[in-house]
Amino acid sequence: MFVLIPLFPLIGVLLNGLLGIRFFSKRVVHTIAVGAVGLSFLASVGSLAGLLRSAEPIIVKTFYSWIPGSVVRLLGGRAASVSFDLAFRYDSLAAVMTLVVTGVGLLIHIYSIGYMSHDKSCARYFAYLNLFTFAMLILVLGANLAVMFIGWEGVGLCSYLLIGFWFTKDSAANAGKKAFITNRVGDFGFLLGAALLISVLGTLDTAGITAAVESGSMSKGLSTAAALLLFLGAMGKSAQIPLYTWLPDAMEGPTPVSALIHAATMVTAGVYMVARLHALFSFSGTALTVVAVVGALTAVYSASMGFVQNDIKRVLAYSTISQIGYMFIGLGVGAFSAGVFHLMTHAFFKSLLFLAAGSVIHALSGEQDMRKMGGLRKSIPKTHAVFMIGALAIAGVPGLSGFFSKDEILAAAFASGSYGVWALGLLGAGMTAFYMFRLIFLTFYGPERVDPEAKHHLHESPNVMIIPLAVLAGLSIIGGYIGLPHVLGGGRWFAAFLASSTGEHQVQLAAGTEILLMLVSTAAALAGIFGAYVVYLKNEGRPAERFTARFKALYQVVAHKYFVDEFYNGVIVGGVLRLGRLFTWFDERVVDGLVNGAAWLTRKAASLSMGFDTHVVDGAVNGIGTVHRLLSAGLRRLQTGYVYNYALAIVLGIVIIISLVVTIL
Amino acid sequence: MIPINAVFGLGLLIFFIGLFGVLFRKNLVIMLMSLELLLNGVNVLLAGLSYHMRSPRGSIFAIFIIIMAVSEAAVGFGLVLSYFRQKKTYDMDEFNELKG
Amino acid sequence: MIAGLIFYFFAALAVLSSLFVVTRKNAMHSVMYLAFTVLSVAGVFFSLQAEYLGAIQILVYGGGIVVLYIFVIIIVNLNEIKPERRKLFPRMFIFSLPALLFLQVINVLFTNRPTPPAGPEAGLSFISFAEMLFSTYLIPFEIASILLLAVLIGAIIVARKKLLHDPD
Repeated sequence: MFVLIPLFPLIGVLLNGLLGIRFFSKRVVHTIAVGAVGLSFLASVGSLAGLLRSAEPIIVKTFYSWIPGSVVRLLGGRAASVSFDLAFRYDSLAAVMTLVVTGVGLLIHIYSIGYMSHDKSCARYFAYLNLFTFAMLILVLGANLAVMFIGWEGVGLCSYLLIGFWFTKDSAANAGKKAFITNRVGDFGFLLGAALLISVLGTLDTAGITAAVESGSMSKGLSTAAALLLFLGAMGKSAQIPLYTWLPDAMEGPTPVSALIHAATMVTAGVYMVARLHALFSFSGTALTVVAVVGALTAVYSASMGFVQNDIKRVLAYSTISQIGYMFIGLGVGAFSAGVFHLMTHAFFKSLLFLAAGSVIHALSGEQDMRKMGGLRKSIPKTHAVFMIGALAIAGVPGLSGFFSKDEILAAAFASGSYGVWALGLLGAGMTAFYMFRLIFLTFYGPERVDPEAKHHLHESPNVMIIPLAVLAGLSIIGGYIGLPHVLGGGRWFAAFLASSTGEHQVQLAAGTEILLMLVSTAAALAGIFGAYVVYLKNEGRPAERFTARFKALYQVVAHKYFVDEFYNGVIVGGVLRLGRLFTWFDERVVDGLVNGAAWLTRKAASLSMGFDTHVVDGAVNGIGTVHRLLSAGLRRLQTGYVYNYALAIVLGIVIIISLVVTIL
Repeated sequence: MIPINAVFGLGLLIFFIGLFGVLFRKNLVIMLMSLELLLNGVNVLLAGLSYHMRSPRGSIFAIFIIIMAVSEAAVGFGLVLSYFRQKKTYDMDEFNELKG
Repeated sequence: MIAGLIFYFFAALAVLSSLFVVTRKNAMHSVMYLAFTVLSVAGVFFSLQAEYLGAIQILVYGGGIVVLYIFVIIIVNLNEIKPERRKLFPRMFIFSLPALLFLQVINVLFTNRPTPPAGPEAGLSFISFAEMLFSTYLIPFEIASILLLAVLIGAIIVARKKLLHDPD
């Protein structure tokens, strides 16, 4: 059953991509695309049902022996048969991921019908969307790292295609390139890690790796190395420090694309991968610590930039980076299921936020700068309502899904003793609340700063866009309850469900401590909201301006994203360019010099040979003539005409002959 | 018995004296006379060989040589006479019509 | 013994007179010494038991050629010849050639001694001479007579004053 899940989007891609661009009308394209994802979603639900019913938690289905087995000598000296198959693995983790991808994807596809109604490259867009869905599904269903990598690269490609969808715009094309190339750097680490695993364990199978690690056939050092290399790939895909710079620029793409790829699915691929290989990461404690620390730092760092961004989508982009940091914190402290839990809830509210932002932009006929918004609460009330729900969820207000997932992560961090990580997480939570509500207040409240021209066209979005928003809002509210912790009366079903694929993780905390932690994080969230209220609503941003004026340097640094992009451009890109110029110089001077030198040598040799020809050869020929002339001049003297000279000659001849005869005889 | 070496020596002497005469004299007539000396010298050699070998062959050959000498002298003198009529001189140095 | 003495006497005479032949400036003197040489050589022939050869020598050479020379000298007035002058260097070179030849011939002649035949040869008598002349050497003898005839005619033609293709 679960094999069908990626099949429908594939069909959708082929139909829309090959035929749709030319032949199909918009309605047909929409139907095919949405229908494909819809069917895929149904298949996911069906597969989940099957999984819950069946006794085994894991199903693996092999299609095709991709690289047949060959005996290789591994790093440790053992001989093993290494082979890679095209195989899918369906377990609880895969079930969750497929449901999220297809479910949220379906809603975004429906939303896109409305959002992209003006665009003429409709078929291409939906083909790409389907292709992306297909690739993502391959990624999550892969039974080994090789198949996962196919999906990994596939989503990378699709993000390039979709970010640069309006490729005629230079900034969009560049953003697409930036995303792909930055991803590539991460993929480099992924491949190295995979190679290391092959050489040590002889397998890339999830099951095989888990078994091998647990049986101890890998040293701590090697497992750390492999884990960190793989994490490098995750950093690229999931936009953590230092490979995050592509995500803010990726906002050049259409907003639904941002929602799907950069909120709900692709950026979470890294989280998924770490969760899949939890055995490897757990075994190497160092790697886990690195994951947690990177996540924590990213969370805070990125949140700080959300304070000063003026583009509505960019605030959400930095928010995404920050929230993924939270997921890694969860993974890093060993609470793998907590990280995945946050992944799911984040998919709900972040895509909700993005789509709602898209709705705002659509209403304002393309305006994205928050400084030109304000007071939209009255004009687009439905958008405002769903937006508010999303903001509350992400801020971690109790009762909504975000609270449960974020809290589980923080509790796990606290419980594992990583108090530094916990502290950073708490700080980040507060910051998240602050910048999120800054966005809300700037956009929907306060005086209207809208352009008169845009104001003229101000209208609520069509239902086809509102309905997915509503569904997502609902999910954002209730989605967290399946992970309700014990202490609040729940059964932690989610974690239990995931235990079969991500390992058990018991939070050893006293009930009282846990409640205390919850209160602390709630306080942080409320403090953030209140702060935003004070600064932006009550005082209409004046405190912010005063702060900016006093700490101008700090503001400049943060506003310019800590100049990281400039750093990368200068050092890495510039370095590569300089290297290229060096090689060009080398080529021109040395290689061309050699070639020219060879040509010069040839010319010299030719002139030498010509000289030889004229002087020596011709000289010899002329010399013969000269000798001849001299000889004949000399010999002519013999013909004196004097008879008696001839007589003398006769005598001379006789002398010679007789001498010869005498000597020979 | 006359030693063969003596005959040889005689013959050679006469021969070479004649050779000297042919090469060294400008006078045409004397040159021709020296030619006769050459031939005489050869005849002496031949006679000596004939004596030594106790065979008449040598002297027969000498007879023939004498015949040759006579004929050659006759013709030669005819040439000399006609040449002298043209050139009015016997100086060998003047005989250079062949010089080209 | 006596034959030897005769031989040496005539030999010396021949050499001496031949020397004078080539060295006299006066052509008449040269002719006279030529006559002496011829007669001396005839004497040598007699001492070498080649009587017929000696007789022919006297007759032909002495009576014929020498007389011929005398006549030619008288006819052409040979005393109008300028004195001889030769350059030294050519003289030495010319001198060396016959000298070389002389040396080589001596070398050859005196190193290879001809040996007398073992068996009986014809002998030196006149009879054997005549026999050999008319048997083995008959053809050369006949040809020689033809040659003399040709020479006779030729000499006359060559010495004529008038040209052959005279139109008369």
